[in-house]
Amino acid sequence: MSEYRLIHRTALSDKQPVDAAGISLTALPEGHVIHVLAEQSADMSATLEGAAAQTHSVRYVAPGQWFIVGDEPLADDAMAALLTRLTPHAAGVDQSHGRVRILARGPMVECVLAKGSGADLALSAFAVGRSTTTLIGHIAAHLTRVEDNAFEIMVLRGFAESLWDDLMRMSAEFAE
Amino acid sequence: MTSYRLQKGGLIDRQSPLGFRFDGKALSGFSGDSLASALLANGQRLVARSFKYHRPRGIQTAGSAEPNALMTIGTGGRTEPNTRATMQELYQGLEAQSQNRWPSLNVDIGALNSLLSPFLGAGFYYKTFMWPGALWEKLYEPFIRKAAGLGKASYEADPDVYEKCWAHCDLLVIGAGPAGLGAALTAGRSGARVILVDEHALAGGSLLAETGSIGGATAAEFARQAIAELESLPNVELLTRTTAFGWYDGNVFGAVQRVQKHVAEPKANVPVERLWRIAAKRALLATGTEERPLVFGGNDIPGVMMAGAARSYLNRYGVAFGKRAAVFTTNDSGYALARDLEAADVELAVIVDSRADTAFVWSGKARLIKGAFVSDAKGGKSLSGITIWKDGKTETLAVDALAVSGGFSPIIHLACHRGGRPVWSDTHSAFLAPEQLNGLSLAGAVNATSGIAACMAEGAARASALLGELGFKVEPATFGAVEGDIAAPSAKAVWSIPGIKGKAFVDFQNDVHRKDLGLAVQEGYGHVELAKRYTTNGMATDQGKLSNVNAIGLLAEARGVSPAEVGTTTFRPFYTPVSFGALTGAYHGDHFQPVRKSPLHDWAAKNGAKFVETGLWYRSSWFSRDGETSWRESVDREVRNVRLNAGLCDVSMLGKIEIVGADAGEFLNRVYSNGFAKLPVGKARYGLMLREDGIVYDDGTTSRIEEKRYFMTTTTAYAAGVMNHLEFCSQALWPNLDVRLSSVTDQWAQMAIAGPKSRTILQAIVDDDISNEAIPFLAAQEVSLFGGQLRGRLFRISFSGELAYELAVPAGYGENVADALMEAGKRHGICAYGVEALSVLRIEKGHVTHNELNGTVVPADLGFGKMVSAAKPDFIGKAMVNREGLIAEDRPQLVGVVPLDPAQAFRTGSHILAKDAAATLENDQGYVTSSCYSPHIGSTIGLALVKRGSTRHGEDVMIWNGLRNEYTPGRLCSPVFFDPANEKLYV
Repeated sequence: MSEYRLIHRTALSDKQPVDAAGISLTALPEGHVIHVLAEQSADMSATLEGAAAQTHSVRYVAPGQWFIVGDEPLADDAMAALLTRLTPHAAGVDQSHGRVRILARGPMVECVLAKGSGADLALSAFAVGRSTTTLIGHIAAHLTRVEDNAFEIMVLRGFAESLWDDLMRMSAEFAE
Repeated sequence: MTSYRLQKGGLIDRQSPLGFRFDGKALSGFSGDSLASALLANGQRLVARSFKYHRPRGIQTAGSAEPNALMTIGTGGRTEPNTRATMQELYQGLEAQSQNRWPSLNVDIGALNSLLSPFLGAGFYYKTFMWPGALWEKLYEPFIRKAAGLGKASYEADPDVYEKCWAHCDLLVIGAGPAGLGAALTAGRSGARVILVDEHALAGGSLLAETGSIGGATAAEFARQAIAELESLPNVELLTRTTAFGWYDGNVFGAVQRVQKHVAEPKANVPVERLWRIAAKRALLATGTEERPLVFGGNDIPGVMMAGAARSYLNRYGVAFGKRAAVFTTNDSGYALARDLEAADVELAVIVDSRADTAFVWSGKARLIKGAFVSDAKGGKSLSGITIWKDGKTETLAVDALAVSGGFSPIIHLACHRGGRPVWSDTHSAFLAPEQLNGLSLAGAVNATSGIAACMAEGAARASALLGELGFKVEPATFGAVEGDIAAPSAKAVWSIPGIKGKAFVDFQNDVHRKDLGLAVQEGYGHVELAKRYTTNGMATDQGKLSNVNAIGLLAEARGVSPAEVGTTTFRPFYTPVSFGALTGAYHGDHFQPVRKSPLHDWAAKNGAKFVETGLWYRSSWFSRDGETSWRESVDREVRNVRLNAGLCDVSMLGKIEIVGADAGEFLNRVYSNGFAKLPVGKARYGLMLREDGIVYDDGTTSRIEEKRYFMTTTTAYAAGVMNHLEFCSQALWPNLDVRLSSVTDQWAQMAIAGPKSRTILQAIVDDDISNEAIPFLAAQEVSLFGGQLRGRLFRISFSGELAYELAVPAGYGENVADALMEAGKRHGICAYGVEALSVLRIEKGHVTHNELNGTVVPADLGFGKMVSAAKPDFIGKAMVNREGLIAEDRPQLVGVVPLDPAQAFRTGSHILAKDAAATLENDQGYVTSSCYSPHIGSTIGLALVKRGSTRHGEDVMIWNGLRNEYTPGRLCSPVFFDPANEKLYV
């Protein structure tokens, strides 16, 4: 069936973006998400800085773990090259389809997220570039502050629609 | 003679009238009124009936401690019973109903209870409803239930929304009175992150009812300016209408904000209440005090009010609580009210001061009687007079309003929520907060400090000190001179009043009077916790805010000990009632729990799936087709078709974990009971995971994808548990192993393609050779799909016993790939099948799930004894799996079971009895763990765990369902019902 044209169906394809003065919600492109798992005590800074200098962004996950993310899908050879660059002190696991990224942006974004997350997201306590894993309501998510008023929310694909619905509800107050 | 609105004064907006109804009567108030102040302004002093005796009750306080003025607010789904009129802001169109009365508030039949009051003392129902026992369920309990309670909840759904929020700060200040404002201004100016909460709509606390001045401005104006400054500071958040109700571990405070309880039509997108969890590095309690009532006869008659409340209505709301008033006080605060009443031209008949030696110099017009007590109040639904007792002589005076002040109880509730006990102070005649509260300090009246200036200074100093601990350097704020403040230093408490004739109430909400407490002591319930239960003092919505300390004082007197020895009951959250709506937040209806969708969810839906909730997943249960009238019909078709042609089943929900690292093989060898060290690349193996105690924990397959990369599948139910287990093993048990774990459950859309035609169908989309030679049973390989458009992982594994594969593709392509397989399989008769058919297929093959892996079985019980490696030096469960009890001959063992008559059925959960044994649990031989109708066998079949089951194949038994009284003669057999030689598996 080589003539069959495959379609990548995004997890939030049925959801309409929110764009209001107080808050906007956007499903980010399902590009690439690589879960980096390093050996104990491995110094990955040069490798990760190298990745960040290219078309990727790096998110801290846990000691020895990061996500390398980007908006563009990686072709097989590009993915292989990236995974190779992580070796020998780390391995990468492709999570490009397992994690869905949502961008929440706007002056009320901290207020919106405070309705779900117990993390202290004030700019003074949670600067741009910082990440944390947290619960948003009942759903586990990975948060990264990407701008003063914007957060990337990464969630398991299976929960993406449910989290989107929750974020819509949490934003309703500021979305008029 | 009644309460009325003054011509001027108050913090109300007289240009903004508001219409409202009380018991259907149209009344009006002003913007800025509480419901209580508006009722008083309209002369409505009778507002409620008491709980037990149905006595007429009026408004007693101006705040959250109100025990009497509870009413039902709103209509329809917005009906809210037991709302304190003192805390309810007035709005246009507000509908309020009095409670616990019939047929009306004025004429209440229940008031006949008062005539029976000699028989209705504390504990009467413990003694009264004992005999005859048969009447308890038929008469007594229904009657008591009907009589109990005050307001009634609506059966209509609440149309409003609620939510929960988190907040974080350096300093949380609770209470925006003098001390709280002093603290918040100090902290706000430091740049620290500050949250100030206050339960009233207008911040300012007692300053709003004060006629003195601060720095030349009225106290209320000072408060207004302070709030304006705080609101201008970006580092300060002011939460009014917000009650801090609990102090929890980690210095987290619970608070509920009444966001839209003061509007007629709440905005649909904004919650009516918001529950805050405030994580504070430091907190300051500036909650002030509660004024104590005095226990004299008739102290509950409408028109008797706390002195501070009367002053609040006078100065804040411009309402006089009567036309000819009296003040009964044990301390100096009564004089502040007396002064303000005279300034407002309200007739003040007398001041009764219990202290014969009071040093306060009264310069007003009213008569002052020192060393005297009000022993009784007269009147039915409205106060008409008082009796004053002095030195054994009495004097009666006609008044229509009486303000009382029995001293002050610091509001230390929150300070005692984490185990600390209140400490009695003889000096202050009050219970004070325990010391050394970790992260929490007190300032102002709650700390027994008196006077506006002292409270503000203390608040500022405490805030400065607390922030100093966090590294902020800030001087305490200073304020202008305070003038006209009548500070009320602590005074000796008065528990028993001489000369009482009438019923003297201690707890107004529960109709507990002083004789009830005496009775409790007399009958051996003098301990404060027992007395509470015996008398109900301190129960219900106000939790004894006004009554507890008086009750303790009276108990102490009755027992001849100090209140310190009596102690208090335990303080627990919540400080004031919190609605279920706020506690639930948004998590109800569609948001009750998250929905977890498979990447093949929409594929299943368009193929007619009926979904079933399995945990949070929505799984396809079966796929209905036109003409099928029952689920069994669909399932039977799917099962037959899989064995005849092929079927496609969504198995994406299985837990999937990628395991990488140099020691991943050794790691697996330790977590599984069977060997994994020699698993070659490109192969899958079934694995059995044990608990430390040797019991089977979970099962699944693990495939070696690369030299140092494995792909584990778990059961759906235990996916998260296994991941946690592996993390624990990696981090805690064997940190020396190089193993790293990543959950990839959501990365892959995984579909089982099972049936004799599965290879043919699959080959249509797989570019690689998937013949039996290339992909033999238990092969696991990466494959190219659709002419190189996609790469997937193909596993030759089978849960159905058929030639079968599981294909994993990146989730975003799952639906499309499944569509393609259905299209390719159409001419081969492929069908979609769900978990019901999956279950039938696996039962026919005797494959186990968590029905059988039930937390009690070891591998040998399931016939997996050979999967417990004897060669491996160690693995989890090895040390315990051969314990005496786990290798006993009469262990329950997996066995098949069929009915002797194929027309008969049995149910999962039924017990197995020896053929002729009596149906008792003593004769229980085991139970049916799984059952289904097998279209291939033509009857119900089951798997069961039965004592010595593996040796009893062919034995006739009785399958007994005691709950349904069903008896099915059956026979034990091999658990493999279909293709026992596995001929279909390896083709």
